[in-house]
Amino acid sequence: MFSDALRESVDLSLFWDYREVMLSGLAFNFHVFAASATAAIALGLGAALLRVAQALPFRVLGTLHVETFRNAPDYIMLVWVHFVLPLLLGAALGTRIEFHPFASAVIALGLVYSGYYAETFRAGIQSIPRGHLEAGRACGMSERQILWRIVMPQVVRRMLPEGLNQLVSLFKATTIVSLITVPDLMYRVSMVTATEMKPLPLYTGAALLYFAVVFAAASLVRLASERWRRRILA
Amino acid sequence: MDDMPAIRASGIRKRFGELEVLRGVSFDVRRGSVVSMIGASGSGKSTLLRCINRLEAPTEGEVYIDGVPMGFVEDRGGRRRARSLAEINRLRRDLGMVFQQFNLWPHMTALGNVIEAPMRVRGLPRAEAVALGEAALEQVRLAEKRDAYPAHLSGGQQQRVAIARALAMQPKAMLFDEATSSLDPELTEEVLAVMRDLAQRGTTMIVVTHEMRFAREVSDEVMFLHDGVIEESGPPGQVFGAPRSERCRQFLSKFIGQAR
Repeated sequence: MFSDALRESVDLSLFWDYREVMLSGLAFNFHVFAASATAAIALGLGAALLRVAQALPFRVLGTLHVETFRNAPDYIMLVWVHFVLPLLLGAALGTRIEFHPFASAVIALGLVYSGYYAETFRAGIQSIPRGHLEAGRACGMSERQILWRIVMPQVVRRMLPEGLNQLVSLFKATTIVSLITVPDLMYRVSMVTATEMKPLPLYTGAALLYFAVVFAAASLVRLASERWRRRILA
Repeated sequence: MDDMPAIRASGIRKRFGELEVLRGVSFDVRRGSVVSMIGASGSGKSTLLRCINRLEAPTEGEVYIDGVPMGFVEDRGGRRRARSLAEINRLRRDLGMVFQQFNLWPHMTALGNVIEAPMRVRGLPRAEAVALGEAALEQVRLAEKRDAYPAHLSGGQQQRVAIARALAMQPKAMLFDEATSSLDPELTEEVLAVMRDLAQRGTTMIVVTHEMRFAREVSDEVMFLHDGVIEESGPPGQVFGAPRSERCRQFLSKFIGQAR
């Protein structure tokens, strides 16, 4: 019933033989993910705060950040940050500059996803009723206390489902970093393909591994946070 | 010193663009007295209340709390400079405010709402803030709801927690901005009962309200605002019983059966 080609392409024994190589590649995906997620969330929050600021120059700056990075394909951003940005910086500083592939990957993905996070944060911040802030002011709380004690705890709860989806997207986007020779799982797949000449079972194995990791992690986070998140709703 | 008013408003004007909402309002609130502000919507009552704790900065005029100006400080040479936001925040602690929409923070329990400002603003250690918070919840008869989240409380209970939140800062005066206007009649009563109780304990209060019976029974003074000025003011017996202003009489006639 199944052709040989199909049977071969779903046979995971080759992937299993190289499991240690593959898992150490996956570790790079995790590292790139963790670092770029941290950067994306921090930069995204910064850009969102600029976008909701009173002063127009801040708002313009925040909008510029969001529109630049949200509209850039991550693939192109990655290549650009790794190959063009060092040339630009080098020309400006009058020296030769090179980025480590890992650094380029984190900068590129961090910037692109900070554009998405900025919008999620902004929507969250603007959804907090004005009265909550006024109640804080009336008690003598400072604007900073109001931001961190009243606004952000609610924003995080409200944006959690969307923020989690973005983390999933970001993790999946880490599969393109092999393009600039970060030795991640996909990089390992192409290396092994070069010797074994059997790409299809390797890609199938990688696909299943990514799926299992993302599905398990996202489900766990959802499960753990849902009760905590919903407590503020009626 | 004793005859210094707890709150003095002097020549308050507030303009929003072209619209002048307050057109020169002055009054004193004696320590321990209850002042009710009545008037049609749009008469400026809520704006006036918000000018007192500077949620709105008056365009002109000044508010004094125990003789201390909210908006400026005077140096030795008598020169005035505007207060910084941090200084205004310090003064705001002394004025508890209760809002029409309760404005409880939904991610904190009832007790969490009540102890937040004592801990963060006054810097009390947690144990002390909790003791204070529990006493405040006790005072609004909600001690048993200390661990409930606002989403699980009725409107009346939420508003009583909001009152406790203001009380826990041990303010010099309480400001009520239509505290019962978004509540059903039966829930209104439980909130008014707490407010009556506060008045009887000698709390200085300014109450913006549409509850004419409450204003009549509890206030020491009633002010009728119309079009951004105090059109009539005096003891409740006079304002409700024999209003001198025609507009005040017209306004009160809509409430016949509730207060008179």
